[in-house]
Amino acid sequence: MKLGRYAAAAAIGALCAAPAMAADKTLTISVYAFAQDEFKELVYDPFEEICGCELVVETGNSVERMSKIEANKENPVIDMAVMSVHDALALSRKGLLQKIDTSKLSNYGDLFDIAKDPLGNGEAVGYTVYATSIVYRADKVDIQSWADLLDPELAGYVSLPDITTNQGPGTLWMIGKAIGDDDLSLEGPMKLVGEKADDIATFYLRSSQLAQLVQQEEVWAAPVGRFAWSRFRDNGLDMKWAEPEEGQFGDMNVMIMPAGIPAENAELALQFMDFWLSHDIQLALAEALIDSPVNDTVEVSAEAAEGLTVGADLINSLVFMDPGVILDNRDAWLETWNSTVVR
Amino acid sequence: MFENKTTGLLLVLPAAVFASVLFLLPVGILLSEGFAGSEGGFSLGAYVEFFSSELNNTVFWRSLRLGLWVMLTSAVIGYAAAFSIVQLSPKSRGRVFALIILPLMISPVARTYAWLVILGRTGLVNQVIVGLGLSEEGLQLLFTETAVFIGLLQLFLPLMIIALISSMENMPRDVVPAARVLGANWFSVFFRVILPLTREGLVVGGTLVFAGSITAYITPAILGGSKVLMLETLLYQRVTVANDYAAASVIAMILVVMSIVTNLLLKRLAKPRNRRA
Repeated sequence: MKLGRYAAAAAIGALCAAPAMAADKTLTISVYAFAQDEFKELVYDPFEEICGCELVVETGNSVERMSKIEANKENPVIDMAVMSVHDALALSRKGLLQKIDTSKLSNYGDLFDIAKDPLGNGEAVGYTVYATSIVYRADKVDIQSWADLLDPELAGYVSLPDITTNQGPGTLWMIGKAIGDDDLSLEGPMKLVGEKADDIATFYLRSSQLAQLVQQEEVWAAPVGRFAWSRFRDNGLDMKWAEPEEGQFGDMNVMIMPAGIPAENAELALQFMDFWLSHDIQLALAEALIDSPVNDTVEVSAEAAEGLTVGADLINSLVFMDPGVILDNRDAWLETWNSTVVR
Repeated sequence: MFENKTTGLLLVLPAAVFASVLFLLPVGILLSEGFAGSEGGFSLGAYVEFFSSELNNTVFWRSLRLGLWVMLTSAVIGYAAAFSIVQLSPKSRGRVFALIILPLMISPVARTYAWLVILGRTGLVNQVIVGLGLSEEGLQLLFTETAVFIGLLQLFLPLMIIALISSMENMPRDVVPAARVLGANWFSVFFRVILPLTREGLVVGGTLVFAGSITAYITPAILGGSKVLMLETLLYQRVTVANDYAAASVIAMILVVMSIVTNLLLKRLAKPRNRRA
């Protein structure tokens, strides 16, 4: 009898303590600063309820995120991060990432093939993919090819992404394809852009900056990621999304886990990644026009699809630049760009 | 003022420790990276490499040129404005002074974005140009050196005016009328009376405006973009894209040296020449 009372008291005590113990668990993630209010509502808060843990969210640009992971490699302070696929490869080459145990990701089988193992070594999983093409003023010009960006008709009214942006190298690569030079040194297209530099209004750094320039009629055409299309589509001007004959190029953001994080945090990180890749969350983020889904089971509304990169056909048609090529050539591209384009 | 020297030293100690640990030490470490050889030891290799690039030279001279132009223009406008303001009644002077300070309370980002609209093809300036028939269509003013110059001038002019007002308020009020009565023309009045008596303000204002102009990031980045790279935007590019901290250190050192040299030159130029010891 006495033993039973002790057992009951212990059970009640354990039940009361359980939530407190669960809340002691902390998962630190590092993400882009973009749309954090929506992420909190759609992803972070629901996940905290499920895991009974505290989610610490750090934001910053890729460089800050990568520096932090590298500087704390002996004692990691970030459990999970998202970044571009070539930034993930940079960390992978330094041995700073760990393999992701995809057997613990129940949604892994539903992902598009390109998102399953973008690095080819199991250290990253894609969570969103997006196309880049040209937005243009249909009342002013017609864009059928990437080479049309350098047409005299657009002189002074075209903007290209700076070489330092995620869209920069891809744009030059596609211009190169259009002029019959798809060498990855990008010297051919850079030389051409350099010759026409006076006709380029500016080399933009952020899509928000470009959106303003288009709005105030400073720019009529520019390559831009699909994630920013809604900013242009709804600006009151006659804007179109080009489908150039050379195709559109694709890019992907991935989730990674730094090497050396405690096993308990790794479990939690995998749980969070699986949650993010689930049908419901991928759908919610797509409907909020934040990220295009990589989960093949997600069917977004026609309205949302207009602002995103969706559909197996479109995604399979995208031209992807090998992240290794980007990483290996980045410094050389910058040097060539500085000497031939901006001078 | 203090009973003994120790009290004074103790009072200055917190600020000295703060500045040493959080400013001098990190800056020292950053600047020293530019003198580190690839295999350790002292080297000027990073400086040689920096100045062997044609682009870096272009950016260096552009930054120096724009910094000097902004400083000179703000000095000319600043002297005229400050001289007028100190003639006002104390009440009016306070109001005008508040108007000068007001822009400093607004974020440089907001101020620079305003120029993006004003200087745009459909902006106010182009509306006037087209309205006067000077051009059939709007000119491209953005992403040029002119745009960066205008943005920087607007950003730092208040600092020059404030420094000059402060100096002119200490200038005896009857020296200008006295010089005029004695037959000096306005040119002589300015160079032989006003300038020597307000040189401290000019040195402070000039240094602030020049150093601010060459180290500004937001304004050249937004109004100039990568077509009008300045040292500061180049520094950002070297760190964030190329991860090249040696080049960043070289640029930081150049900026520090340029600011110090300008300060020394201004002090020398503004020194009264006819003073006999």
